[in-house]
Formats: sequence, C-alpha cells, structure tokens
Amino acid sequence: MITPTTSAKTSEKTVGMGQIAAGRDPERLRAILGSCIGLALYHPRLKAGTLAHIVLPDSAGRDGLPGKFADTAVPRMLDMLRELGAPASGLTAKLAGGANMFAGSGPLQIGDANVEAVERVLRSAGVRLVGRDVGGTSGRRVTFDCADGTMTVEQAGQPPRSL
Amino acid sequence: MTKTYDDRTLALLHELFASATHDASAAMCRWTDGLITVTLDEVRRVPMEEVAAALGIGDELLTMVVLSLQGELGGSLILLFDEPNGRQLAASLLGRRIGADPEWSELEKSAIAETGNILGCAYVNALTRLIGADLLPSAPCFLQDYGVSVLEQAVIAQAMFSDTLLVCQIGFHRQDEDLDWQVVFVPTVEMQRAVEQSFRAAV
Repeated sequence: MITPTTSAKTSEKTVGMGQIAAGRDPERLRAILGSCIGLALYHPRLKAGTLAHIVLPDSAGRDGLPGKFADTAVPRMLDMLRELGAPASGLTAKLAGGANMFAGSGPLQIGDANVEAVERVLRSAGVRLVGRDVGGTSGRRVTFDCADGTMTVEQAGQPPRSL
Repeated sequence: MTKTYDDRTLALLHELFASATHDASAAMCRWTDGLITVTLDEVRRVPMEEVAAALGIGDELLTMVVLSLQGELGGSLILLFDEPNGRQLAASLLGRRIGADPEWSELEKSAIAETGNILGCAYVNALTRLIGADLLPSAPCFLQDYGVSVLEQAVIAQAMFSDTLLVCQIGFHRQDEDLDWQVVFVPTVEMQRAVEQSFRAAV
C-alpha cells in the first residue's frame, strides 16, 4: 500500500486521494482538495491526529482505499488514533473541501454530498465537529498541524484562514 | 508474450487518442501560426492516490482551461500552465508583449480559453469520426486554481468505480522545444468500456 508522501521538510506528509495519514506533534499533514473532503480528527491532550482525503460519500459496501469513502474513512481513522493511544472520547473534528468545481458545470458535482456524508458519519461516531470550511467553487490547500490541531486553509485569491 | 486484457485496452486507447491528438495538433498549429504542436505522451492507469504526482502536478496554483466533452463516450480536458507560460502563450496569441499588470486581462483570459476551445473541438471532431461518439464540447472555463483540485473533479466519475484511474497526457512543443504546458484528458468510464468491448469482440 502506498503511504502518504513525506516531504523534505521531514515533519510534513502529503495525503493523496483516498489516503489517510496519522501524525503527532510536530508533524503536519497536508492535502489539496476540490470536491473531496479533508477530514482531520485530533486528540488535543495527546497531540495526535489523522487527516483523511475523502473522495466519495458512501462505499455502499464496495472495496477501495480506506480513506476513499466517508463511511470507511472515519472508522479507519478512529482505529489509527487508537493505535497511537488516542481513544475516541475527547477527539475533535475539522473538515474542509467539498467544492463544486467548474462553477456547477462539467463532471459529476459531488462536493455537497461529500460534506453531508462526512458530517453524518461524524455524528454517528459521536465525534464533535469544531471547524468547517466547505463549499464554494474553488480548490483548497489544507495543512493540519498536529502540534495544536489547527487546520490552515488556503484558497486562490484569498488570505489563509485557520480553523 | 501474450498481452493482458488491460495491456490491449491501453494500446487501443493509445491508438485512439494518438489519432485524435494528431488532429488536435493540426488545429493547434493553425491557431498559433505554425508555432505550437501537441503529441500524445502517454495513456496509462495510475493509482488514485498517485495521479497528481504521476502527471507532474504539484501543489501550486496553475492557470488552466477546463472543458467537458459531453456525451456518453466523452471525458474532461484540462489544459494546464504555470503562470509565466500562460502569460507567454496569451501574449503570443495576441501579438503583443507580456502585460506588466499581474492581473490577467479579459482579453488574455479569452485568448487562453479559446486555445482550450480549439483543442476541445478538435478532439470532439476526431473522436466523433473515429468511434462514432456523439459529443458536444462545453464552453471552456478559465481557472486559476490548484491543479490537483481541478484534476480531482475530473477523475471523480472514474473514482466511483475504481481505485486506479486512466488518464491521457499530452505534451506541447514549439519547434524542437518541449514546453512546460500539458493537456490531460480523462475519459469517461463509458469510453473505456466501449474500447474494452471492441477488444472483446475482436479476440
């Protein structure tokens, strides 16, 4: 299985489509999103987190990369955090992405469905959502800092903002 | 060596897109007064999580034109440049120097969008002729955004069915020089299946 790419800045991992990465302070996890969702789960006391690059809302029982679907990504993320010693209680979630690219025309518009699915799965898992930056028609570059749980969101033509 | 089913499908798709790209190159050459041509670099299957890296698309903002070839056997066409190359193409199309204003003028955007339109129409005409596809190009959409974000949208339909994605990579050339621009064509699943069906019928 291909693992997220660690950059020359050794503390930063890039999370590709369908992937999930875990990290601890001082690592940072990064993803570039269009209609996909970047979902971060974080344990503030242990400073451990995961970032998933979720592509589609529902696996409907299909196989695939664990991070590809909202309904498979969240359980896998919880398992990964448990392996880092971080229980599900006390976790917080932040999410970004879900854009409808090409201003509503072009291929399948799935951004809104992805947002709805991820939020539904989080509610079912009892994980509290504490930040979101979703929708619109532009891509996002997100960086999740395991040192303090901040998710920085960058979009073309706008100043960076933090969740 | 016996070719695998997938090898043969890729070979057929390569043949199809090479032929369509030949037509697109002629159109591009006419549009740029003989300066620029395009060639098909590769048709390949790439793991989803590697698709951006495989196409050499990093995490920077790019200038792009996107259009869809709408119809059952169509796909998405993405024309990508970095900022300097995009401005250079616009300037050469308009017959002027690169503008001093960092903001793109409407005329510059229009020149680049029309380049995408020329390529898109050339592919539509070629694919219609080659496989009888009933296609309509969408209006070209000029974007300055993260290339990976745009690529994600283009591959979503394939991603619904597979963790490996089929992409076609097309390069630009000016006389003997390879240019740092590219076109990525992402065919629909239906187009892939149509090609696979034709392979099965022939075997």
